[in-house]
Amino acid sequence: MNFDVVLNNLPYLLWGAWPQGPIGGAALTVWLSLLSGVASAVIGLVLGIWLYMSRGAVHSVLILFLGFFRAIPVLMLIFWTYFLLPVVLGFSVPELTTVVCALALIGGAYLAHSVAAGLRSVGGGQWEAGISLGLGRWRVLWLIVLPQSLRRMAPSFVNQWISLIKDTSLAYVIGVPELSFVATQVNNRAMVYPAEIFLFVAFVYFVICGVLDLVATAIAGEAEPEARTRSV
Amino acid sequence: MSLAAFGLAPIYVEWLLWGFAVTLLLSASACVAATLGGVLLCAARISPLAVLHVPARIYLGVFRNTPLLVQIFFWYFAGSAIFPTPLLDWFNNPHTVVLGFGGQTWLSFRLPSFEFWAGFTALTFYTTAFIAEEFRAGLRAVPAGQREGGLSLGLSPALVFFLVVVPQAARHAFAPLLGQYMNAVKNSSLTMAIGVAELSYASRQVETETFQTFEAFGIATVLYILAVAVIEGTGELVQRRREKKYGRGALS
Amino acid sequence: MKLGALVLLAAVFVGGAAHADRLDDIKKAGVLRVAAFDSNPPFGYVDEKSRQIVGLDVDYAKAFADKLGVKLELRPTNPANRIPLLTSGNVDLVLANFTITEERAKQVDFSVPYFSSGQQFLAKKGVLKSPDQLNSLRIGADKGTTNEIVLRRDFPGATIISYDDTPFAFTALRNGNVQAITQDGPKLVGLLANVPDKENYEIPEFTISNDYIGVGIPKGEKRLVEFVNETLTELETAGKAQAIYDAWFGPDTKTPLPRLFKIGDKQTN
Repeated sequence: MNFDVVLNNLPYLLWGAWPQGPIGGAALTVWLSLLSGVASAVIGLVLGIWLYMSRGAVHSVLILFLGFFRAIPVLMLIFWTYFLLPVVLGFSVPELTTVVCALALIGGAYLAHSVAAGLRSVGGGQWEAGISLGLGRWRVLWLIVLPQSLRRMAPSFVNQWISLIKDTSLAYVIGVPELSFVATQVNNRAMVYPAEIFLFVAFVYFVICGVLDLVATAIAGEAEPEARTRSV
Repeated sequence: MSLAAFGLAPIYVEWLLWGFAVTLLLSASACVAATLGGVLLCAARISPLAVLHVPARIYLGVFRNTPLLVQIFFWYFAGSAIFPTPLLDWFNNPHTVVLGFGGQTWLSFRLPSFEFWAGFTALTFYTTAFIAEEFRAGLRAVPAGQREGGLSLGLSPALVFFLVVVPQAARHAFAPLLGQYMNAVKNSSLTMAIGVAELSYASRQVETETFQTFEAFGIATVLYILAVAVIEGTGELVQRRREKKYGRGALS
Repeated sequence: MKLGALVLLAAVFVGGAAHADRLDDIKKAGVLRVAAFDSNPPFGYVDEKSRQIVGLDVDYAKAFADKLGVKLELRPTNPANRIPLLTSGNVDLVLANFTITEERAKQVDFSVPYFSSGQQFLAKKGVLKSPDQLNSLRIGADKGTTNEIVLRRDFPGATIISYDDTPFAFTALRNGNVQAITQDGPKLVGLLANVPDKENYEIPEFTISNDYIGVGIPKGEKRLVEFVNETLTELETAGKAQAIYDAWFGPDTKTPLPRLFKIGDKQTN
């Protein structure tokens, strides 16, 4: 093992060509994760509440919509949004936006089901109590049911974010210079130190995701540790 | 589906179907291996012996918290340093397996090459970690009363575990396990990065030759959704049968 | 529902989208977006010290941006992404060792050629002597290259394994997963020059096709094509094309190759 190759390329692996060029490497991975993490949480909450409150045809369409994003591989969705959506829209979508959109939609689709399940887990008595106080359905949801279920949903959110961080590595297929992509560039140039380079990269992801993993376990606390909803 | 689907020449549809076959083979074999591995890993993780549960915790931490893509690159690029040379030579020289009797060939097929095995290894090690945790969650979902009930009947702790806890845990873990199988099908797409000729790889090849990007990605996407839907449908079917057998609410 | 959505997408696709002249857009935006290789010295690779993409293709890209008086923005690409990058409008030009072919010319426009090369092979010493052997070998190629297509067409017996980029294919060769890899000769020369144990490998003399390399331009951008062609011709007349070549393939470089082709020797359009 010769980790000189990692040391020599450390700035490139950590922040890419910045400040002479765009930010990249691990810094971009964190940035992409933050953006798609927030976006997926918003999408997951909105669609999850909608899933819980809707009935009939709307509900079925929503299930199908979510099903599509849960069934399509992330790689395929990135191809679709990056190469084909611009042809449809008539203008190009920047690659960072593409990746954030794809990850947020997929993460959001998974979270929507967790949110709906969390809402369902709140007992019917809470609803009855709220309604007997004269509150409307949405106010009961907002004031009584949602706050109680958020705690239960928290582990799903953190686990989904861990998946998102790992999924940002797929941005490599469209040349986004995040950590995995710059690592393949360095590996392509050095050629003889693949084990060192990829072990280092794995370590960086491990540190980022591991911290979140500990947070997830802590939040789950005495409550049942929920299995991770999805993985890539 | 007609072979000339979406206006794509039959030969290219054939490429995509071959790719789909590789996707199914790769993910199915990885699922089988990962389920077995998951049982062992889960057993190690819940073991009271530190010599078992400490390595299991490390394994889970490492394989769940690093991207599959990086793991695939690691196995593939560093594979030559990790796998022993004879095994590597064997992987690299394509082998033809001939099954037959009395000089007659019944079935002959080529064993997959190194990139397939690297992809299989990566996908299996990764999926094993997730499946083990689903099993563990299943075990924890069995109410403590069940165990106590078994013990009070005079059964030994081991018998209680295997006769009372495991069957119930298996039922709890069934749906999440299928979820992991679906993930494995989707995750197998990442092996295209190391040249495994699976569905995503085939779709890019068809795109290269025909430039019919929409058709190539369209058919590939539909096939992935089909595979995932079949797994989901199987799950629903099994669940419904169980409900019939045991009555609704008995399980969930 | 999903099929319906696909059909809808396809319908919009056929309908097409109107856009203004790309050359004007570039000037207005003040940025020329060019896709270049990031792992293929000396055409395009990330320089270890400056952490920027540099190379022969990049020098040409700089010349275009300078003449337009705009900023150059480089996007790293692998071979397979070159055409989708153009058709989706994510870049204005592709300068990435892009071989001109009739099939590709239906999807994108090409400039006059600015480089010429032949498809060759790289193998461990003594393995590959003549083209006849190709039919019985496992050969690594790059996804989305003409090399892959030519090999499949002319050597149906060869087992082809395609990778995202040439260094990936080379790793497969090093590990023994394939017995040879194929690419344009100069690209292989550039690769071999940077291999730490280059004495174990060789590039056999023979070529199986002759390729002309051009600038990839979005389809139907007449004025942009004219601008690129004009600039290329000017670069040749002013001796700048020679200077760019010498900087990467001249006698004092790691990859000395005689310059047999000059811009203007062959008109494809």
